[in-house]
Amino acid sequence: MTELETKIRAEAERLLSEHLVDVVVAFRKEDAPLHPQPAFFTQVDELQDLVYNGLCANNLANYLTRHPQETRIGMVVRGCENRSVNALVVEKQHTRENLVLIGIPCEGILDWRHIVALTGENVLSVEENGESVCVHTRENTFAFSRVELLHPSCQRCLHPNPISADVLLGELKPEGDPELMRLRIEALENLTLEERNAWFRHEAERCIRCYACREACPMCYCTECFVDHTEPRWSESGVTPAGMQAWHIVRAFHQTGRCTSCGACERACPMDIQMTYLTDKLNLDMIDAYQFEVGMDTTTQPPFATLTLDDKNRFITRGK
Amino acid sequence: MAYRLPKKGLDQTLRAWAEQSKVFAPQKREGYAQFLPWKAGVELLLDEPHNTRFPPKAFLLPQSETLLTYNRKLNQLETPTLQISPRIIFGIRPCDAHAVALLDTVFATQENPDPYWRARREQTILIGVGCNQPATTCFCTSVGSSPFDHAGLDAIFTDIGEAYLVETFTERGEALFAGLPQAEANDEGQARSIQQQAEAGLTPAFATDNLKDHLDQIFDSSLWNEFAQSCLGCGICTFLCPTCFCFDIVDEAQRDERVRNWDTCMFRIYSLEASGHNPRPSRAERTRQRLMHKFSYWIEHANQFGCTGCGRCVRYCPVGLDIRAMLRKAAATPSEVVHAN
Repeated sequence: MTELETKIRAEAERLLSEHLVDVVVAFRKEDAPLHPQPAFFTQVDELQDLVYNGLCANNLANYLTRHPQETRIGMVVRGCENRSVNALVVEKQHTRENLVLIGIPCEGILDWRHIVALTGENVLSVEENGESVCVHTRENTFAFSRVELLHPSCQRCLHPNPISADVLLGELKPEGDPELMRLRIEALENLTLEERNAWFRHEAERCIRCYACREACPMCYCTECFVDHTEPRWSESGVTPAGMQAWHIVRAFHQTGRCTSCGACERACPMDIQMTYLTDKLNLDMIDAYQFEVGMDTTTQPPFATLTLDDKNRFITRGK
Repeated sequence: MAYRLPKKGLDQTLRAWAEQSKVFAPQKREGYAQFLPWKAGVELLLDEPHNTRFPPKAFLLPQSETLLTYNRKLNQLETPTLQISPRIIFGIRPCDAHAVALLDTVFATQENPDPYWRARREQTILIGVGCNQPATTCFCTSVGSSPFDHAGLDAIFTDIGEAYLVETFTERGEALFAGLPQAEANDEGQARSIQQQAEAGLTPAFATDNLKDHLDQIFDSSLWNEFAQSCLGCGICTFLCPTCFCFDIVDEAQRDERVRNWDTCMFRIYSLEASGHNPRPSRAERTRQRLMHKFSYWIEHANQFGCTGCGRCVRYCPVGLDIRAMLRKAAATPSEVVHAN
């Protein structure tokens, strides 16, 4: 057990034993290597299963909307999760007073697919030691530096520290470089229209419409998703180019001013489809056009969710 | 019959097949193994411990398939003529081929055969490559299969070092290897020992004795809520599963087509009725359905598990729900005693 895990367990134990929360949402030790599971602790004696490591790949804020507002939830949050929680509070999906955020400054999530690509399928265990990561497989042992295994979204992460946690465990990390996300988007924007279209089609059309990206996303909490509507029908449901493109583009647009660039969508995708280039572009637009960054507080509505009398309305053109 | 095919002769064999048929074989693209058309010079992925990410069931049951088109002007329905040319799927793993055999009990029954499945199945030859070293996520031997299972296959390759031992099980499989030298006794002996070693390397992942009855007894257990807590309700486990076959039929009215798409019991709308009632209202009922179908209802249907132990759902579940651990937990859950009154 790491020092950090000991601290998280102690905090979770305090919250549960003092009846400050009804449930602690964290991770539990994995059944299959590389995949610690989101877990819901209600009893102190279950906490021996609690783990926290670089392979904890899900955005736990995703589970917030599964509980009624009255449920008092203790939740382990990293930088992105804290901002997702904030964005959900802005959207009135939970009462902030009923949340206790156990903040962990994040070292970044290790990309299990990348590990498997580098070491083979038969991973038995992963050992993290500060900046170095050791992967034991059935056949071999591999040594890596943490940074080479980080998920791309975590490499570009701007805010690794929880910004409004109730308890902070661990050392604060330095803020990320905003240029990294911008450079990637600019590289795409510098492509020709045809090249960008080919990029988009190539990614979207590998989709198998399992909707893991939607289900892994804290902000995709609609009871009925637009692709599930039958009357009216918004998109083809099969794996046709039109249906898959419609899904990817509309999913991204629904995230405008709501996505925290956590990358949980890409980490869930079984087909390794890139999606964050769309949402990151929208996030940059929100920053550039409205100086709005998602989840930085629990009160500011996303620009597209507000209407004010001094809106510029540049997009409205008078008929001639 | 058993033949010996030197590894350096494989290319020539595939080349000969490709003159007669479309040949698909596992290759790496987008960073993972996929069945792609074989062309001279491509690099094959035959010795990886795991199978392709997307299941080859899609060759026989495409994820989306037009069942009929309608002509509004003439007020007529038109069934598309399936023009499926002969295909050879080379390098399919025994778990995926076993799954095809299971799906035959659904789509190729005497009483009610599915013409779309049958047309594809008749034109598709499955040539397997057995698994000398199954992956840590594999559990075929726990569910009545094995790394060199023959079910569903026309022939199977066993990697014996410099060569493959090729065993054929059907006439059409046999025809593909005519002209190859017959295997010698020591080739076969070597293959048997490799096969036995591979099988022995897999330890039981969960207990299967009485599993169906036990699952039936814990139908109302709170265990399903426990699984549902972390389950995302996405379609990965079922869409990547080689045996899941549920589908939904929709009209793509803008194209005047009636289309069959894969569907999954993990989706909320799968069981949603037009009235708004949903008999499986939460993820608990839906995760239960997935396990019950595979390990209870399949026994009723075909006296086999509807799982071949390929391990895809274990490897790709985004929240690490491992079906093997789920079944171990189910086995450890005491069955509820139901009293009359």
